[in-house]
Amino acid sequence: MVRKYKPFLFLLPSLVFLILFTYFPISYSLFYSFHEYNMYTRKPIFCGLKNYINMLHDSIFWQVVFNNVIYGVFTIFPTMFMALFLAILIDEVSKFKTFYQMGIFYPTIIPMTAAAMVWMFMYDPSLGIINKFLGLLHLPQPGWLGDSKTSLLSLIIMAIWKNLGYYMLLYLAGLQLIPRELYEAADIEGANWFRKHYHVTFPLVSPTTLFVFIVSIIQSFKVFTQVYLMTQGGPGYSSSVLVFYIYENAFRYWDIGMASALTSVMILVLLFLVLLVFGVFGKRVTYSLI
Amino acid sequence: MKKRGNIIKHIVLFVFTIATLVPLYLIVIMAFKPGDVIFHGNYLLPPLKPFLGNFKIVFESAPFFTYLLNTIIVVFGILIFQLVLVIPAAYAFARMNFKGSNILFMLYVIQIMLPLEALIVPNYMIIRKLGLIDTRISMILPFIASGYGTFLLRQVFKQIPKELEDAAIIDGCGHLKFLWYVLIPLARPTIVAFSLVSIVTHWQDYLWPLIVTNSPSVRTLTIGLGMFVQQESGADWGVLMAATLFISAPVLILFFTLQKTFIKSFMTSGLKG
Repeated sequence: MVRKYKPFLFLLPSLVFLILFTYFPISYSLFYSFHEYNMYTRKPIFCGLKNYINMLHDSIFWQVVFNNVIYGVFTIFPTMFMALFLAILIDEVSKFKTFYQMGIFYPTIIPMTAAAMVWMFMYDPSLGIINKFLGLLHLPQPGWLGDSKTSLLSLIIMAIWKNLGYYMLLYLAGLQLIPRELYEAADIEGANWFRKHYHVTFPLVSPTTLFVFIVSIIQSFKVFTQVYLMTQGGPGYSSSVLVFYIYENAFRYWDIGMASALTSVMILVLLFLVLLVFGVFGKRVTYSLI
Repeated sequence: MKKRGNIIKHIVLFVFTIATLVPLYLIVIMAFKPGDVIFHGNYLLPPLKPFLGNFKIVFESAPFFTYLLNTIIVVFGILIFQLVLVIPAAYAFARMNFKGSNILFMLYVIQIMLPLEALIVPNYMIIRKLGLIDTRISMILPFIASGYGTFLLRQVFKQIPKELEDAAIIDGCGHLKFLWYVLIPLARPTIVAFSLVSIVTHWQDYLWPLIVTNSPSVRTLTIGLGMFVQQESGADWGVLMAATLFISAPVLILFFTLQKTFIKSFMTSGLKG
């Protein structure tokens, strides 16, 4: 018989830190989001919904939200698609598997800071390898990070490169769970490569797809390091994202009230999105294999 | 037919792999080339004689070995605390029946979905209240209660048959002994996988250390590199790439020596079931 207090002795240490650095902070943000608390007030003063109303009237906030959505959509879907495609190919070839896996996966291992450095060089308009390559092909050479039309795109391309290998490995793991007989059956039926994967692989890796989708939603909300190092959210606010905007409000303008309101909104939106994805796709996913 | 398909697959994979490797290639090559050579556009081919001057400048202008030491302390500090907290918690959720266990477990699962990046402002206030600004421990504490680790290990602990536990209890094993002598050895692959993911993740930490540190003596490699770029605004790419190589080398060496373990660990890092 397990004594009643025993489980709690096992849980207590982690619970203390879980509450102190996750759940207490959430309530803290909610509390201060209803207060005016900045350099001038010195102390928090209750102000009701004022921070939220200011936020809704703040055009920069909407630009930042828009950027974050664009960043999310254009990193998540291409990365997932390419990751599955490459995983299928690696699964089907017999030689050089390790070389392909390592070569495509290593960007996940490299610190984002280091990745930002080398991509800043590659994006350099005159010296960088990307524009040199485009020049060879007589294609237009954009200003990349320095141009408000392409700054966000530059961050997106780099993010795809960074995450592709990790999602590819997750898909490779998912592919191992599909019974080989299904492919043999498809071969006998005379299905070609595309039809085979469309009808067998796609539905049967859906648990992995759901997991990758949720991980990448969270990833796209987290983005900060490369924005801070490569563009500082600029030019203008063309590549600013939510976490960067929270950072600016809190640690550049010392507007804790506003930063808390932004934090609260971000947490709510993130949890809502994740639960929505679970709710909508969770039931349709083919679970028979796990 | 089959053969031609195979060649096409290899061509596609080869092109993708080479394209993905370009940034790593550039870091390594440029770290060993003088800045003026790079500036004139001659950076694509490997140098005939590796130039070490870049590293000399890096180590003379910023305390990169202190940064390295701090990173090691922080990353392994996080990992050790995580394991010490996560293993008993996962054990309680997997093998003990108690009231409220589902609700408590939800708290751990929700945390997986909440990146710390979202909570920087309140966490900064807490660390400041605790008087821990500009310390190494401040970079460790917020990460140590890992919902992800708890979830992962709970899965493994659950799969271990009840008979094994009964046998152990007949032999006079308490919970702690059973955990230590039976469960942990059986869960080793998962613990290794979690550890590698944790090391790689926290070697990259940037935002949190940026906020809670002010002085070079406690700063980590990533922050050091960021500062170094601002300081060397003349953009000597050779020097910058030497610093970049230095901060990435430890994880890359670990990666290339433990290839198989790494690939397996990240493959299974998905939350199965």
